[in-house]
Amino acid sequence: MARTLAAATRRVLGSRRRDDRAAAVPDASGADAALVADLVEAVGAERVRADAAARYLASRDASIYKEGNAGPVCYPGSTSDVVECVKVATRHGRAVSPRGAGTGLAGGAAPLGQPVVLSMTRMDRLLEIDLDNGAAWVQPGIVNLDLTRALAPHGMHYAPDPSSQAACTIGGNVANNAGGPHCLAYGVTSAHVLAVEVVMSDASVVTLGDLTAEPAGYDLRGAFVGSEGMCGIATAVAVRLTRNPPAVRTMLLSFDDVSDAAATVSAIIAAGIVPAAVEMMDQRCVAAVEDFAQAGYPKDAAAVLLVEVDGPAGGVAIAADRVAGIARRNQAVSVRTAADDDERARLWKGRKSAFGAVANVMPDYYLHDTVVPRTRLVEVLEQIYDIVDRHDLLVLNVFHAGDGNLHPILAYDSRVPGAGERVHAAGREIIEMSLDMGGALTGEHGIGVEKREYMNRMFSAVDLDQQSRLRASFDPHCRMNPGKVLPSAHSCSDIGALRASDAAGVWG
Amino acid sequence: MHLGLDDDELVACVACGLCLPHCPTFVITGRDTESPRGRIALMRAVQNEGAPVTDDLIRSMETCVQCRGCETACPSAVPFGHLMEGTRAALAGAGRITPRWQRLALRVLRRRRLLLAGSTLLALAIRLRLVPTRRLGLPARMPLRRPPLRTSGDDVWLFTGCVMDAWQRDVHLAVQRVLEAAGAGVEPTGGAAPCCGALHIHAGLEAETKAMARSVMDALSGDDRPILVDAAGCGASLKDYGHLLGTDEARAFSARVYDVHEWLAAHLDELKSRRPVEPLDMTVAVQDPCHLRHVQRAHQAVPAVLSPFVANVVALDDDGLCCGAGGAYSVMEAELSKAIRERKTAAVARSGATAVASANPGCSLHLAAAGLDVRHPLELVDQALSASR
Repeated sequence: MARTLAAATRRVLGSRRRDDRAAAVPDASGADAALVADLVEAVGAERVRADAAARYLASRDASIYKEGNAGPVCYPGSTSDVVECVKVATRHGRAVSPRGAGTGLAGGAAPLGQPVVLSMTRMDRLLEIDLDNGAAWVQPGIVNLDLTRALAPHGMHYAPDPSSQAACTIGGNVANNAGGPHCLAYGVTSAHVLAVEVVMSDASVVTLGDLTAEPAGYDLRGAFVGSEGMCGIATAVAVRLTRNPPAVRTMLLSFDDVSDAAATVSAIIAAGIVPAAVEMMDQRCVAAVEDFAQAGYPKDAAAVLLVEVDGPAGGVAIAADRVAGIARRNQAVSVRTAADDDERARLWKGRKSAFGAVANVMPDYYLHDTVVPRTRLVEVLEQIYDIVDRHDLLVLNVFHAGDGNLHPILAYDSRVPGAGERVHAAGREIIEMSLDMGGALTGEHGIGVEKREYMNRMFSAVDLDQQSRLRASFDPHCRMNPGKVLPSAHSCSDIGALRASDAAGVWG
Repeated sequence: MHLGLDDDELVACVACGLCLPHCPTFVITGRDTESPRGRIALMRAVQNEGAPVTDDLIRSMETCVQCRGCETACPSAVPFGHLMEGTRAALAGAGRITPRWQRLALRVLRRRRLLLAGSTLLALAIRLRLVPTRRLGLPARMPLRRPPLRTSGDDVWLFTGCVMDAWQRDVHLAVQRVLEAAGAGVEPTGGAAPCCGALHIHAGLEAETKAMARSVMDALSGDDRPILVDAAGCGASLKDYGHLLGTDEARAFSARVYDVHEWLAAHLDELKSRRPVEPLDMTVAVQDPCHLRHVQRAHQAVPAVLSPFVANVVALDDDGLCCGAGGAYSVMEAELSKAIRERKTAAVARSGATAVASANPGCSLHLAAAGLDVRHPLELVDQALSASR
């Protein structure tokens, strides 16, 4: 009886396991059969998916751009896996598009023209902490916040902290030269990436930059950071470690008028104070996040500022007093200082969940992240509210006030006929207005596909041509994340057009 | 295929991705198909865009543990649990998931005598080493005899459930002693309400679950006594009857349901005032069952109740990430379930604890199968109380 029972058990378990194996073999039918077979041969069946569901999901990021069209999806585990995937893709005449956590807001990770998608999520290890050089080597799929947590025992952290830091990856941060609230004082990603190991479009592996302060030659590392996947695939990143400040003070200032909040920001900077972060949220945004964060944000305030000062304890106390004084002189209704780390964490949780909380108001949103001169913030905000009113839309304003980086979130319901068109029209006006005020197209979210069309408005043909030539020097055949950033006349978006026609065939 | 999902619930995800690090299957696989955001996008593709229900899409839904860790991480409060339950109900209704043998096995859970007799048989088979317990995730030893349930008063109900009553009745008895020490007269539900239906709704058997919910409500109606539950999964299920049945009666019933720790945390003074207690000299890590932390959101009651009775109560540093048990998930998706569990056992090792307190039978069986010393939190409280008796 014992044997029978054991055999029966084995049969049940065995059949289950066979099922799993069957599911692990990618769908090798269809036009990509040969390509998929070669990818499986190169990196193993466990690291390749080619079914409709996997490709459908790999075609999109957190933006509203839904026209991406992924080929087979690979999940490399090492630099050599990436090299193999690039070789196979090239052999089959296909491009390669990298992907981190898919939290991007400009369609940068949305693949065009059915490239092989390299999802870097499994390359998520912290390779080495080098305290002597104040650096750490990490794989690109490591989550930004996980890196900071791993550095905590050493009293260190990784300074750039995009709002999506709990989910987004360092690879994606490098691609977009990501910012974050604390970049006001500490600088954006580019200032915190010392070197990058890159798999180039010809499948060679190079290291750009090094751990010394002044590397010899051209700053190719600097050219790579922010290139949105078009200059190669980062497979290891040396990041700069930042020592945790000895003291931190986080203050919540609330105002009855948005312009008082904006005036406070300018006054703080004018006073020579460099806070670690200065963030603004307007009333609608506060209402959306407070239910989730339970941080005690005042829902009745027209606008709130989240100001953080850090450094040696004495200096922090003085700076905090000065900030509070400036706020009161600018009609702040209340000035609250977080009592402990828990309260600080909840305040930041509220700020950093702003985009995700939009569905509390409306199911869809569209946003731009233009940068405007800080001195014109009041004027710009008035115009944004005006534009939005004219298009009968809702806007939630949340932004890095300290460096004038706006995030007007246009919330809408895509099920309402015409809502999408109104949102795009309003978005265009916001961009035009921002540029007319002397601003820039994007602060940190990247151009991706979403903002390509505005590049001509910002740059001259000569500028764009130079950008295109820089890209071509890395990737002469446009095999790396093609169709992004550069407007069509200056890019290889013809590769995208090549296979865009069979978009409908992705599903099923 | 229309999945029958509420359109407003389905469109509420803005795909921000903040759920990703809180999804055990995404953390393990790194694949969007195994993430909450991805699963919602696939549900939309099927319901709104008419995408076909492929085997791969079904895999994406079947690999979800239904821990609902994504819900507490979601700034827009997307009701993922409802969406997944609805999707599974549609798939099970179409015969695409939950095969016949699984439906039969689940039917046993509401047949109390059959379940108790079968469990005794299983316990015997385990003693005779006829069953590969490790591979099946079964306990290495199960009770051959169960001390009878007894009623000590009519202040509160103690919901005893199905598998837990058959396999872990000792826990119910310990819980009852603790409740009595806090001054409450306890009536165990026993055969009157044999099963809450949690595993059935997870498997997509919606009609069956509704019938079970009605019978549980009938058995426990007639008074407004609090219904205390010492299994987090059952507690979550009973608290959801209001939503499941959508009637005022069901909502009133759900309002009477408390996790036993939740109730004790509000009666801690009574419990502590009875007699001076020497805390157990041990380091215990609290494992938050997902259905206590993410669904009932009452997990903070466990350390609150435990702390006066155990010298060193420590929290785990894994943000409450699921342990991979998921009711029948540990059997149905054994490989993924074990990979998820490894992260939990690593967190326990980091905590320095020698024992783990878990308030859910599924989690406790699953973790014990990995070699951890797992106790119900109130077993520890009972131990401390009886030591100083």
